[in-house]
Amino acid sequence: MGGTQPVLKAIYRLAWKDVMADFRHRSTFSSMLFFSVAVLLVFQAAFEPDPREAQRLVPGLLWTTVLFTTIMGLGRVFQSEEENGAFEGLMLAPLPRGAIFFGKWLGNLTLSLMVMVMLVPLTLILFNVTLWSHVPMLLFLLFLGTMGLTALGVLLAAMTQTARSRETLLALLLLPLVSPLLIAGVQAMAVVITTGDLSGPWLNLLLIFDAIYLALAPWGFGWLVEE
Amino acid sequence: MTQLQVVDVAHRFGRRGVLRGINLRVGAGECAVLYGANGSGKSTLLSLLATRLRIQQGHCLLGDLDIQKHAEMARQRIILIGHHSHLYGHLTPLENLIFFRDIYQLDTTQDLLVQAITTVGLAPFIQQPIRWFSAGMKKRLSLARILVSHPDMLLLDEPYSALDHAGVVWINTVIDTFQKQGGLVIMASHDPERVAALDHTPWRLDAGILQPWVEPNRC
Repeated sequence: MGGTQPVLKAIYRLAWKDVMADFRHRSTFSSMLFFSVAVLLVFQAAFEPDPREAQRLVPGLLWTTVLFTTIMGLGRVFQSEEENGAFEGLMLAPLPRGAIFFGKWLGNLTLSLMVMVMLVPLTLILFNVTLWSHVPMLLFLLFLGTMGLTALGVLLAAMTQTARSRETLLALLLLPLVSPLLIAGVQAMAVVITTGDLSGPWLNLLLIFDAIYLALAPWGFGWLVEE
Repeated sequence: MTQLQVVDVAHRFGRRGVLRGINLRVGAGECAVLYGANGSGKSTLLSLLATRLRIQQGHCLLGDLDIQKHAEMARQRIILIGHHSHLYGHLTPLENLIFFRDIYQLDTTQDLLVQAITTVGLAPFIQQPIRWFSAGMKKRLSLARILVSHPDMLLLDEPYSALDHAGVVWINTVIDTFQKQGGLVIMASHDPERVAALDHTPWRLDAGILQPWVEPNRC
């Protein structure tokens, strides 16, 4: 067999395998969800903002929660590959290394997006913000940001998978590298909330960072896993 | 018909030379068995042939294909069954084979996958996640991959470990059939008695040097 379709099927199968692992063990998704709810509750209790102030805080709160929740998921992204030498099995498959990267990335992105779909309405309810008409745009921005965040995160998770305190190391490496994307995400969301307009330089910057991370991370992954 | 040529292959891990000037030629339908002490380089040689490790010196040809230069294409024609089963504990036997089929981009139907699971004796457990399978059951399932793919070259690292007597007879039958169909086999083993049932050429790896096996004199 040749061509693009079998490679896409392999990418899908890799992502499916990771999502199934999570549903059967109820591990990453539930941890991410509970963690994000806890973070929002703490923010709410700490600030007790009025609706106007809350509206101003929403972009920062959402992105902070998304960042920490995603880091939690990324720490476990290669966990299933440690069992029975499964990672070596992947390396022996007749697949481009980039396809393996995209499979792992898609699985992680799916889990992160499932958390985000619940996170946005929950934030609006907890902070009593009436931005319901903006929900699709907020989700779209989080989707764009998470694409880049998880792309870089999966690469760094592959780099740190053999380290003893890998989750700490992952956070240490990811946070500075992903800051420009987060700033663009927060600012683009602030624009959407204040003007209702999904355009502008911050959105463009978000798209540019996505393109950079998604282009460089598969290449970096391929270089990293070759022995 | 495919043949394997290993030409002047050497490999080092850091300063330690693991393989030195390996030359090996295995034709279609032949089985080469590598004997040698632990650390003699058997698994390293298999990893090089499986393209898991980059060849540092020399080259390997599978037919006309340089497996280093065209690693991705070569992987389509090679199956390595090593110490690890490469299986996912949370998936059932059928799901594991579906995963294998899709990442190896095979055209195999699901019926054939079920048939392979039945052949290796795991049909009663087809719906159970394999996490709690015994080592022998996992070994059987990883060997089922040979039945669903049709590689040119089969690399086996200690294939008899964790198998009961029936499993040993079964795998020897699978290898024998594979050879008769023109496949070539490279096996690393410590178990000449179990290998004896196969039509094979024994080799000895000693401190990274490959030599034809000479039967020790028995007094």
